[in-house]
Amino acid sequence: MTETLLRHTAVLNSAHTLLTPSWSDRQHIDLISEAVTRALKGTSLGINDIDFVIDSGSDFLDGRSISNCGFLGAMGAHHKEESRVEEDGLWSLMYGANKIASGAASVGLIIAYSKPSESDVDAFWTSLLEPFIQRPVGLDQRSAAGLYAQRYLAAAGLGADDLRSVSEHAWAAAARNAGVDVSELPTDDAFWNDDFATPLRRSDLSRPVDGAVAILISNAEVAASATSRPIWITGMGSAIDQHFLAAREPDTFPACEVAAKSAYRMAGGIGPADIDLAEVSATSTVGELMVLEAVGLAEKHHGIDLYRDPDQSRINPSGGALPADPIMATGLVRLHEAASRLGGRPGVEATDARTALVHGAGGFGMQNHCVITLEVNS
Amino acid sequence: MKGETMTTTDAPTASDEMESLAAQLRMPYTLTPGWATGIFLAELGRHRLIGSRHGDTISVPAQDFSGTSGEPTEGLVEVAPVGALQGFTTTADGTLGLVLIDGTDIPMIHRLLDFDSETLQIGARVEAVWSDKPVGSMLDLAGFALASSSESFSPRAVPGDLLPPVLQVDYSMTLDYQHAYGPYYGTLFNAVKYDRRLRGVTCTKCARVLLPPRAMCDVCFAPTSQWVDIDAVGTVQASSIVHIEFIGQRMKPPYVYSEIVLDGTSTRLIHMIGDVDAEDAKTAATPGARVRAVWSDRRTGSLTDIDYFKLIP
Amino acid sequence: MSIAIVGTGQTVHARRRTDVSQAGLAREAVIEALADAGLTMDDIDSVIVASGPAMFGAVNQPEKWLVDALGARYKPLVRVTSGGGTGLAGALAAINQINGGSARRVLVVAYDKLSEGALQASISTLYDPFWGREFAVGIMGFAAAYWHARIEKLGHTEEAAALVAVKNRRQAMANPKAHVRREVTVDEVMASRPLCWPIKLLDVPPISDGACAVIFAAGGDAEAITDRPAWIHGMTYYSEADNGADRSMLQSEPLQIAAAKVYKQAGITNPFRQFDVAEVQEPYTCFELSYYEGLGLCPEGGAAELIESGETAMGGSLPVNPSGGCMGANPIGATALIRLAEAAMQVTGKAGDHQVVGAERALVQAGGGWANLRGVAAVGAEKR
Repeated sequence: MTETLLRHTAVLNSAHTLLTPSWSDRQHIDLISEAVTRALKGTSLGINDIDFVIDSGSDFLDGRSISNCGFLGAMGAHHKEESRVEEDGLWSLMYGANKIASGAASVGLIIAYSKPSESDVDAFWTSLLEPFIQRPVGLDQRSAAGLYAQRYLAAAGLGADDLRSVSEHAWAAAARNAGVDVSELPTDDAFWNDDFATPLRRSDLSRPVDGAVAILISNAEVAASATSRPIWITGMGSAIDQHFLAAREPDTFPACEVAAKSAYRMAGGIGPADIDLAEVSATSTVGELMVLEAVGLAEKHHGIDLYRDPDQSRINPSGGALPADPIMATGLVRLHEAASRLGGRPGVEATDARTALVHGAGGFGMQNHCVITLEVNS
Repeated sequence: MKGETMTTTDAPTASDEMESLAAQLRMPYTLTPGWATGIFLAELGRHRLIGSRHGDTISVPAQDFSGTSGEPTEGLVEVAPVGALQGFTTTADGTLGLVLIDGTDIPMIHRLLDFDSETLQIGARVEAVWSDKPVGSMLDLAGFALASSSESFSPRAVPGDLLPPVLQVDYSMTLDYQHAYGPYYGTLFNAVKYDRRLRGVTCTKCARVLLPPRAMCDVCFAPTSQWVDIDAVGTVQASSIVHIEFIGQRMKPPYVYSEIVLDGTSTRLIHMIGDVDAEDAKTAATPGARVRAVWSDRRTGSLTDIDYFKLIP
Repeated sequence: MSIAIVGTGQTVHARRRTDVSQAGLAREAVIEALADAGLTMDDIDSVIVASGPAMFGAVNQPEKWLVDALGARYKPLVRVTSGGGTGLAGALAAINQINGGSARRVLVVAYDKLSEGALQASISTLYDPFWGREFAVGIMGFAAAYWHARIEKLGHTEEAAALVAVKNRRQAMANPKAHVRREVTVDEVMASRPLCWPIKLLDVPPISDGACAVIFAAGGDAEAITDRPAWIHGMTYYSEADNGADRSMLQSEPLQIAAAKVYKQAGITNPFRQFDVAEVQEPYTCFELSYYEGLGLCPEGGAAELIESGETAMGGSLPVNPSGGCMGANPIGATALIRLAEAAMQVTGKAGDHQVVGAERALVQAGGGWANLRGVAAVGAEKR
């Protein structure tokens, strides 16, 4: 593969707290500082080596305005360059990678966190809607997923039962993932079978969890001395769709496709065939299929084929976002999971994967998409 | 021991009964929908649906700008309050439908009313259900029900008596939170509640005492360890005299806003100085003044267990 | 890489704009900036939205709504938010996108429509719910308290701050975009109603609806787009832990750090002499005095003397806020980007009636939060 522009930025290390439905005995700052401390641990770098911090979180979820302002100490950002990107942490990573590629800084810390357990998650999602047309009628994240699902399943010739292979894969993988608070596949019959947002069941929607993630990135020079196995950021792309849900495409994510094409192009003209491992974010099973199709890992309406083999480990080996959706941090957790596997870090299953695609989403009904490609030296 | 600190080394323990602090953010808004959407909302009260033209596309509800191109609308049209169902979903809160109004190109999402869920089908003809008491909001159109007749018309010029746009929609947002105390605030406010003690922690690197206590020293990014009891006596670092009144205010003005550094600590405690006249406070409650906490009879496990800080003559 | 501002736009700022939605307001500034640059949205690679806390306007992540009015579908679009200084934080994100090779032409749009919400209640939620929120008056009680401390320790008297109000409100008279254009006297400021003493009514800027847009382009593109690019000589944005140990706030350390970095980038050794004009973001009059010292325009404790000298007024050796600053208009989320746009207008000779004659180098300051987020930029007519 050719050297690309962004081969200049490496992921040195990363860590996250346990992702669990409620960290009721920890504050945001406790989770954030734990993630940062763990990301630094085992590297030769200390907090004073960090040139800048870019962070993602949500004022609405946190219940305070300019919430980064109160968490700066826990982020290790005191008297450093810092910015808040109010979008999934993968966009913060993109900011940081640009800053390092520009030569303006050597080492950056990217942080994302959330504690949805402290607030009403439904209210978070509906507050994303313009308040005149869509919000008053009761459109919410569940019904948005249901509307997408009905149209997607009809177009793909699938039934709601077919989606079980997607969520079963996700929960089974999460049960093997020490970073996610789930020990076994849920056995609750209602979870798998009761209507939740028709045609979807509860098992088709992502589970909000609390947690924080921190990623340490650097330029090539620091990477050469700090790690024997740098993971290179080779491509990045993002794109947003229009706001009104009803005006968007009924069964595809064209913005995700644009984001993926940008990332592939930046990575030197690679394509989905060059991707060994994918970690993608979605708020529903159908959303996950639509993402996999948009990034080219499956043909349109054939994403389900990727789950025919229940033991497949190419797609969301971590379990993905369905069992663990730390809103605002979900995509950055995907990056951590992909980097952990490419880097052969202890605690994750061994893989011979050398390249990975990471995807994050933001906004109501997955309006905004970000795609990052990674590569590790063979 | 006045003015000095006492150190202890017990580990933090979160209290069972003080796991979280309830906080509600409730704020009023007056939101402007813009010209086209404002007219759409106004006309709902007259049982008319107004759409907007964008090239060869018609959008209803009327939009000022095309989400596809960003271009402003080329004009408004009136559309029939009937259409076809393109999709629907049912949750615990009801059923929402994607309705394509006759002659338009972009569906709208709204509530489906009065239907039999067993027989509901894509393609079903639906018609508007109007609210009896229009208020200038989207819910003046209550939703859609299965159509009772086949009457419809193609998009047509807007009526001559078109209403001016709704300029503002009143809105109220309420957000409820349960903020975790965590081990540090938990330990502090347990001590406040039960023992009337303030407790800070010491940075393992710079040795400064932090109040409120926290896991890491913000400046050093080093862990904290030793707990320190802090006397509720200190020095005013900064103070101002609040006269302004505003929506959502929690304290009744005038009061003296104050940031206080308690003896032995190196961080700010935010509170008020009481028992002083607002005019006298300009010179008496000035930075550098010495103050002492006046404890309340309340035992809430929060800073409000201190009524105010009093100037030490 | 060299980067320049190739277009700027601002709405007419007003107390309440009931003719446009939040999205429509932001669009107005974008249309003007595109026209200024002679570009269309097709020429824009990436969009950054900057706005104040979303609780100001009841719409969470409002950029997701703005995208339609901006015509940004399928483009990279993200929001950067950093309290009052968010516009400059957004600009810095654009600079990094261009320098990092992700984009060549980036649009930054910043706005707030403050008439729509409950401003002080919203800002009060900056406070930790466990630590003093019940005493908060937005950020005004805090700002007044530390001004009180600076009165005592640095001589930033009420009269000196009143001179800032007089100067900036007079200068706003020449700015057609300003929301408030009314001169005041020192006596009027001193006699105005105390809100959070020492802050009085006329120490406080208006509450405005407004937006600003700025288009950045990489060097070669910039020269092809316009014959008058405003070159970015330096830009940075620093933070400080809000309740870190020994934070006296008499001087703003993050501002001092940011200024030192930008001066190094821009080759500035004597800012007071080398800059021809400055635009600073003064949410209250007292802050402008503090910035004089933090930016090194005078020694510590010298701010009162500097404002009294008249050297920072139009006609002085370093006019500060020829636009009128926040006293002319204060749509909070847009305010920092307005400072940058005004600086670009000055060094390209486009500032009209409030042009500082011959201005070639401009200094920009912005910030937000607990006075703990601080940005600085330097803009010049000369490419470097």
